[in-house]
Amino acid sequence: MGVKEEEESGQFFNLVYTLAVKTLKLKYKNSLLGFMWSMINPLMYLLIFTFVFSNVFVGIDRYPLYALTGIVFWSFFSTSTIQVIESIINSSGVMKSMNVTKIAFPIGAQLSALFSLLLTMVPFLILMFIFGLQIGWESLLFFPILILFACFTFGLSLFLSALNVYFRDVQLAWTSLLPAIFYSAPIAFASNLIPAKYAWLIKLNPLYYFINLLRDVLYHNRLPDLQNTLIAIVISAISLVVGVFIFRRLEKGFVSQF
Amino acid sequence: MKEIAIKAVGLDVSFMVQRQGINNIKDFILTMGVKSPFEKKQVLRDLDLTIYKGECLGILGKNGSGKSTFLRTIAGVMEPDKGTLEVNGKIAPLMALGVGLEPELSGYENIKLVAVLMGMGKKEIKESINKIIEFSELSEEAIAMQVKRYSSGMMSRLAFSIAVATDPEILIIDEALAVGDLGFRKKCAQRINEIKESGSTILYVSHHLAEIKNICTRAIFLEGGKVKQEGSVEEICDLYESTLVKKKK
Repeated sequence: MGVKEEEESGQFFNLVYTLAVKTLKLKYKNSLLGFMWSMINPLMYLLIFTFVFSNVFVGIDRYPLYALTGIVFWSFFSTSTIQVIESIINSSGVMKSMNVTKIAFPIGAQLSALFSLLLTMVPFLILMFIFGLQIGWESLLFFPILILFACFTFGLSLFLSALNVYFRDVQLAWTSLLPAIFYSAPIAFASNLIPAKYAWLIKLNPLYYFINLLRDVLYHNRLPDLQNTLIAIVISAISLVVGVFIFRRLEKGFVSQF
Repeated sequence: MKEIAIKAVGLDVSFMVQRQGINNIKDFILTMGVKSPFEKKQVLRDLDLTIYKGECLGILGKNGSGKSTFLRTIAGVMEPDKGTLEVNGKIAPLMALGVGLEPELSGYENIKLVAVLMGMGKKEIKESINKIIEFSELSEEAIAMQVKRYSSGMMSRLAFSIAVATDPEILIIDEALAVGDLGFRKKCAQRINEIKESGSTILYVSHHLAEIKNICTRAIFLEGGKVKQEGSVEEICDLYESTLVKKKK
């Protein structure tokens, strides 16, 4: 029995891996600049923000670095969610005729987004150095924080992707909701610029906590705030558990909806 | 005593479909609590059927009689609401033309992709990839080409070759071969015979009576989600013909 289980889990990992590679390949297959595109989008944002806001937010030290440490991860968040939502709809044909483990598709999509991010991190790190990034030993915390962030993103996307099979509005609603999430998170601005009266509002956005963590280690060069870390861990755990639970409940009916 | 490959007893299978008019959140919210947004549409009703190992069963029936749903339930894609379904053996499904093929990727990349989707292990794929290419009779150039540039015949060659690469215990063919050219169809028929002789079971859905007569050893006629009749290939083909002609009048 042990052998069979091992074989099955090996099969599952192979499936996830194959799907992740496929998503990566497809993303850049027909474009000339290929993987450069995943950098151009955040760079555009950076340019705009630096141009528009540098003079407004004079209080923020090394503004381009500040903005970039937010934008890069925002871009990961938005691509991941969209890619995961699409992963289910795009493989409706396969799910309709083969007995595959459905959750492998969103996992593959999420991994490909994560891998994309790691690749673009190389040039972005160079850029961050130019903007005054300092590396300390606390910078190593970047990796566990990224994993935490990816777990949060994945749980949320999983939930959205399953719901989207039943109501295609989800995908459309999500694309219009994304800018709202973006502008209500302290990505281009600093949260202390928000009047105290509205400070609670910004804390409703889960991204707030993750962006803070990433900035702590990449921008402020300090250990993450304990309370903030705990909140981020709790949000990620809830997101993942709820996401997987909902997906498991809804996946049985996918075939009827395609 | 013949061994049983598939045994269905009192099988009920249904779709959950959105109620007419409720397919967006606005309607959903407006009618929430008043009525469920989904209703059941039953496709298979109390279906009984036993299929034995080594058989090649032809499945005939009008459009919408539940043929594909039955095959999907056997393949484990859909779950029965009621009744029991016993399936003994590994299944290779060929449900529709080019399922799982990724148009932007090359034929070679697609073989690997579809093989993984079908549940083949890394080792199995490595061992059978040359066999697959050889059987498909696609040129080296075609295998390196993106599948979106394939003709439908070439796609069905590729898909069929992958499905039959590792002698499947149960092979499901749902009108997937209809587009191949004569040569390839003959080759498929030959391979299907080989698979049959190796003791595997084949379920074959087609509207081509000649093909059914050629390949199958037994046939059933589905109507309204039930097996209306099972019997020899000749008998069922006659029934199919007479039912459809009657309807036309």
